[in-house]
Amino acid sequence: MDFSLSEERKMLQETVARFFENNYNDIKKRSEYLDMNDGFSRDFWKESSNLGVISGLISPSFGGLGGSGEDISIIFELIGKSLCIEPFLSSGLLSSTILSSIKNPKTELINQIIDGELLVSFAHMEMNNRYEDHFVESKAFFEDENWKLNGSKSFVINGDSADKVIISARIEGKINDKNGIGLFLVDNNQINNRSYNTIDGYRAAELNFDNIDAELLCEDDLALECIIKANSAGALALSAEAVGIMQVCFDLTLDYLKTRKQFGKSIGSFQSIQHRMVDMMLEIEQVRSAVMLASSTFETNSSTRDKNISAAKNLVGRVGKLIAEESIQLHGGIAMTWEYSVAHYAKRLIMIDHLMGDADYHRDRFKLLSSN
Amino acid sequence: MNFEYSEKEEKFRTEVRNWLKETLPKYLSEKVRKYQRLTKEDYELFMNNLSKKGWIAWHWPEEYGGTGWNAIEKHIFEEEIVKASAPRIVPFGVNMLGPVLIEFGSEEQKNYYLPRILNNEDWWAQGYSEPGAGSDLASLKTTAIDKGDYYLVNGQKTWTTLGHHADKIFCLVKTDLNVKPQLGISFLLIDMDSPGVEVKPIITLDGEHEVNEVWFTDVKVPKKNLVGKENEGWTYAKYLLTFERTGIAGVPNSKSALNHLKMVSRKSMKNGKPLIEDPMFSSEVAELEIDLLAMEIFNLRTVSAAAEGKAPGMESSLLKIKGTLVRQKTTELLRKALGPQALPYLPEQFDEGWNEMPIGPEYAGPIAKQYFNMRKISIYGGSNEIQKNIVAKASFGL
Repeated sequence: MDFSLSEERKMLQETVARFFENNYNDIKKRSEYLDMNDGFSRDFWKESSNLGVISGLISPSFGGLGGSGEDISIIFELIGKSLCIEPFLSSGLLSSTILSSIKNPKTELINQIIDGELLVSFAHMEMNNRYEDHFVESKAFFEDENWKLNGSKSFVINGDSADKVIISARIEGKINDKNGIGLFLVDNNQINNRSYNTIDGYRAAELNFDNIDAELLCEDDLALECIIKANSAGALALSAEAVGIMQVCFDLTLDYLKTRKQFGKSIGSFQSIQHRMVDMMLEIEQVRSAVMLASSTFETNSSTRDKNISAAKNLVGRVGKLIAEESIQLHGGIAMTWEYSVAHYAKRLIMIDHLMGDADYHRDRFKLLSSN
Repeated sequence: MNFEYSEKEEKFRTEVRNWLKETLPKYLSEKVRKYQRLTKEDYELFMNNLSKKGWIAWHWPEEYGGTGWNAIEKHIFEEEIVKASAPRIVPFGVNMLGPVLIEFGSEEQKNYYLPRILNNEDWWAQGYSEPGAGSDLASLKTTAIDKGDYYLVNGQKTWTTLGHHADKIFCLVKTDLNVKPQLGISFLLIDMDSPGVEVKPIITLDGEHEVNEVWFTDVKVPKKNLVGKENEGWTYAKYLLTFERTGIAGVPNSKSALNHLKMVSRKSMKNGKPLIEDPMFSSEVAELEIDLLAMEIFNLRTVSAAAEGKAPGMESSLLKIKGTLVRQKTTELLRKALGPQALPYLPEQFDEGWNEMPIGPEYAGPIAKQYFNMRKISIYGGSNEIQKNIVAKASFGL
């Protein structure tokens, strides 16, 4: 066994870390980016592309320079450390995963994503879908030699600024059937979308569509496989992001405990506080370990991949709550303010449990996959 | 033992409930129910109604205009207010300063301030915490220097809840810098419109403006605004902190939040079925309900003991700890129940008169925001860590 990163990956880590730190050195910067038209900085996105951050998420078979579980984890952990809001998850990972997993991969589109020229969002969630892979109500039908879509999609990350959207829709069967789902590519300008910020400071949209033209990417078993694969990749990325966030929360808290004085001494000198920091440290190491395991098996068969990702994401949900809540509590009032960064980290950490399956969802999925 | 409310108590509950039904405007309970931002006028409307009815000073002795309710009746009153979705009673004047003045104020102060509190003429704020004095309140730095017929006040207070509405603020200030911190503190009443007082908003993690910083630069405060004796403010401050403890567990709020949680988990779906049918989730709700059930009895035990004249000691600290944890757990399960519906955040949804389509069900909007906002309750009013110190110090003999 070897738990260390290769030289190449260390370099990737260092370059990306430096770049993020230079551009996201202040929590106010993030609010500025969120206030921009697209809910993120186009310049930063373009620079990320030039530096190879986006291609780091995509396999060399499709024009990228990375795409392994380790690459994804390295990049997303750094995204977490900076609370970066650019479309790395939506375009960089979820959509490129689907576009590369279909029978005739859309390599040109993937290359445009890598170049920072094209944004594609993945729209699978619906208002009554609670993270399920196959709960799809939106409808697809074939008419006059063309595919058409009807329905609505919810909580679509960067769904407002995307040029194209990948939509899951039901070709046949009942709402909860595993079969009969198709994945479709559509131009976003056909879609009526309502955009909003999320509580943790990201941009998302509700999409409504009525008889819009669509291109079929894949259907049935392959479509379900693609959805599961994209969701698993997303869950891995978010888990790695959470590791980065947890570390920042821990570091900020420890730093505060050393500087904040009450009763004539630093509050970190109290044993009861020290023990809580030890609990946090221990749990963060647990999560880090589970995420390392999940990244190392990302390219194996899907049941091992998904089982380990579910283990990581379940831990992220449970430990994330602990770290977010303890960071705020141990800071005291200062952590309740908008101005101080720890609240923004805590909010993201909590809301990661509302994306790509929460702790309960992944606990149930782990049970299912480990009993097989 | 008898855990039933008496006939008299039930009659009282009906009276309170009917009065709220008659006097609380629908638009206002609607706003409270939807977690919309309340204006100064919204709070005042409800408090003026209470004044007219003679119910505003429900903790005061009857001779000063109090209600004469016993502890159980106070508890019932609190519960009905929450059930009716009334705004909260702004506590700084009537529940905090009032009792201190009654106990320690001069006749002149009592005659002037108490009727004004009863009639809601002054909006009071609390000037306790400072940037460097939170848990360790006695280490406060705001000074009041004796200048003959006035004090010259300099310093900064923080976390001043609704201070942007306040006309007056009661402050803990240092009047003697050369003694042990607790011995050099005085209790001073300051007009917010005095030259040199400045209020700066603090925006909290949920994007809301509820708390403030209050700055004092060479503020002249007349000597007659000193409450009690100079350098004895710490005694009054502690009296204020321990005075009103029946409501500390927040049982009525947690009960209403639990009902809300049950409603939301019936409407939220998991795999096409109501979430409440999920055995794991409903077990979590059940355990929360069990905690709350026990805490309500614990609270009533403490409240009845207080009614018999026994001062609540460490029980109020224990109730504060459990009360905040239970309340936070309700907000956590509500957030969890929503699943991805917890993500959207529309700040304009909390403005009065907002009538666009919400994203998802209407109840979803405030839930994540509330979860984050409620992190404060285990921090303020003496953090849970401080409460544990109090209990350990007072009861273990270690």
